[in-house]
Amino acid sequence: MKKVMTGNEAAGIAAKLARVQVVSAYPITPQTTIVENLSDMIGRKELRARYMPMESEHSAMAGVIGASLAGARAFTATSSHGLVYMHEMLHYAAGARVPVVMVNCNRALSPPWNLYCDHTDSLAQRDTGWCQYYCADAQEVLDAILIAYSVAEQALLPVMINMDAFYLTHTSELVDVPNQEAVDTFLPPYTPSNKVDVDDPKTFGNVCGADLFASIKYRRHWHTLLLEKLWDSTAIKFADHFNRLHPTVEAYRTEDADVCVVGIGTAGGAMRLAVDRLRKEGLNAGSLRLAMMRPFPRVRFEKAISTVRHLIVIDRDVSFGAEGILAQEMKAFLFDRHADVKFTGFIAGVGGKDISAETTAGLVRQALFGNGTAVEAGTSFWTDVLL
Amino acid sequence: MESEKKILERLSDLPIMPWTIGTMAWNQTGDWRYLTPVIADKVAPCAQSCPAGVPITGYLNAIRNGRAQNGLALLLAHNPLPGLTGRLCYHPCQAKCVRRKIDRAISIRQIERFLADLSGNVKIEKDIKTNRKVAVIGSGPLGLSCAFYLGCRGCRVVVLDPGDRAGGALVDLPPEKVSPELLENEIARLVHLAEIRLETGISIDFAALGEGISEADFVILDPTGVSAEKLGLAAGATAFDPFADIPVDGHVLAVKLPGNLQQFKASMIAHYIGAGYLTARKVLDRLVVFSGQPGLTAPNPHMRRQPVNTEDIKLEYFLSSDRREPAKSKEGKWEWERVLEEAKCCLSCGSCNLCLQCVAFCPDASILLDEDETAVAVDLDHCKGCGICAYECPRGVITMEAVSS
Repeated sequence: MKKVMTGNEAAGIAAKLARVQVVSAYPITPQTTIVENLSDMIGRKELRARYMPMESEHSAMAGVIGASLAGARAFTATSSHGLVYMHEMLHYAAGARVPVVMVNCNRALSPPWNLYCDHTDSLAQRDTGWCQYYCADAQEVLDAILIAYSVAEQALLPVMINMDAFYLTHTSELVDVPNQEAVDTFLPPYTPSNKVDVDDPKTFGNVCGADLFASIKYRRHWHTLLLEKLWDSTAIKFADHFNRLHPTVEAYRTEDADVCVVGIGTAGGAMRLAVDRLRKEGLNAGSLRLAMMRPFPRVRFEKAISTVRHLIVIDRDVSFGAEGILAQEMKAFLFDRHADVKFTGFIAGVGGKDISAETTAGLVRQALFGNGTAVEAGTSFWTDVLL
Repeated sequence: MESEKKILERLSDLPIMPWTIGTMAWNQTGDWRYLTPVIADKVAPCAQSCPAGVPITGYLNAIRNGRAQNGLALLLAHNPLPGLTGRLCYHPCQAKCVRRKIDRAISIRQIERFLADLSGNVKIEKDIKTNRKVAVIGSGPLGLSCAFYLGCRGCRVVVLDPGDRAGGALVDLPPEKVSPELLENEIARLVHLAEIRLETGISIDFAALGEGISEADFVILDPTGVSAEKLGLAAGATAFDPFADIPVDGHVLAVKLPGNLQQFKASMIAHYIGAGYLTARKVLDRLVVFSGQPGLTAPNPHMRRQPVNTEDIKLEYFLSSDRREPAKSKEGKWEWERVLEEAKCCLSCGSCNLCLQCVAFCPDASILLDEDETAVAVDLDHCKGCGICAYECPRGVITMEAVSS
């Protein structure tokens, strides 16, 4: 059934359709309406689940870890400072191999105080071992949460579904809501063979010496690398059921592109519009939206840039003293493989500034021809800054 | 418990989630320990202040478990006249009750009366009779108590009273305080339990005690049973202070009480019972030296236990109750339900009642309930001596001590 709803509403409905059994959360703008809606659904008994209002995000994550270890399908959502407060527990969740799914609403980190879109919060968690997926619209939020549970439970690894603050969380769009029976067919109940069980006691997260530690981390690294393939195969299965495909990389007009602009999140739409304009100007442009950021989607990324001579990345984040985090990721991938590809990194849209089609086209022109307003800082260029 | 270390050789041997696939029992962490948890029952503040040394928490625990007869047996073994103490004693135990810090003291007086008034057969621990003979002159509370303990420890005891009725100074109490019938019944139970003889209306020649009752190994003169004038006539008797730390000398002992007890006071009855017990204990020590007979075991190990530290009682573990206040005085006998409710509120200071907090808190699963579920014990092969059990024990039963291995 098609309905008009915000990204946050879509996230709550997705958790309900996934029949989550435990919601453990702490409210924070702009995530609040997700967990508010879920607590309403649970209160009205539309969703048979336990709602745990926690005293902090650290505890909210600890709550879903515990619930998942006990065999429940668990959900939480957070944003910005809440996410970075969870940092320790994020490592724990991945290390404990619990298949929890969390929605993060990408919001700037303070100070100065800012509630708007910025990707530094989640990208700063890239080393915690979570699968990270960035959505472009409300439909993708709903669908990705369902795919995420399937992927997480097959791999026994946690998945973070990211959505841009306000551009996605609070903007209403038309969303096709699948019916419960169809979702149940795609996503059967979570029935782990091992869980916390008083009749079969064992210690979880026990001590492990140097003799086995490396082996356990090595295998987890492999399982994390395999998530790229697992997501894409699960997304195809999802498309078989619902006729909507959500791959790890969304490529637009890259088949013959010389120049390609890369970004994540809601900017993907503006980038496509910019590509159309640049093509009219005679440039062989294409765009890539990286939906998956962890693991880095090596296969689809490499395929998409096979003809590209110049990569332009727009980071809505920064690693202070280095450059944009996407830029680092892509450079690390290109090194030794595609040393001939030219690379320009921009920092744009941080703290909620709109990344429009004009912005994007302007940045591409600046990268190609040198004329533009972005100013150089180390190896990246910053837009919209005072001089 | 499986204690062999598991060796993993292939990546596929590892569980996906990091969890234990064997036990850590092979890792005997007991040698990390500096201090060892010692689980030992201690004397509660109530019993510490009881002049007769009654293990009050012990009989309250028996009541809590629905075994009132066992509770009575335990009470009688330490205080053979509970019907009298339940009515006369000023109950310093209640003044020391730790429960006062939460709501109000356990009404030990009412429970004691309830137990004393129970009918039916009571079995207490006794030694086999030997040929050691003791004569007690006077059947006041001190003499009866002394006779009782000696009787229970295998002595052949005769209590001789020059008066017509047994009870010594208790006989003169007004009947509204202690009815003649009650006094008779209490003494009859004491005599029956300890298997001793009691003779009243006996003419005693105080001037020639040593000769007149020469068969006896010891003759004990009871200051609560015989008047001071008569005792003054006693020739050849040694003055004996049961509270002083001196051994028995001579075989005719005139028990001499401290100043505050010399004038008989009914409310001090437990002190007389305690003095009788101490007299018996010293006489027994002497008898063991004489005979070396194994039948005469040392009396009342309860008295030798370490007192519990009141600060070790963890009040945060206990809720306040909504028990009714006991009436100030002259309250009638309590019903079983009320006794049970009251006994359930006892904190059991210093006595393990298997609450199992230690088992729950031990981070190394090194305190275990034994197979017949009657006691907890420390697994010394694995206990690291962290002390959490001692810290969490609500009743001060566990203490951390330097124990040489």
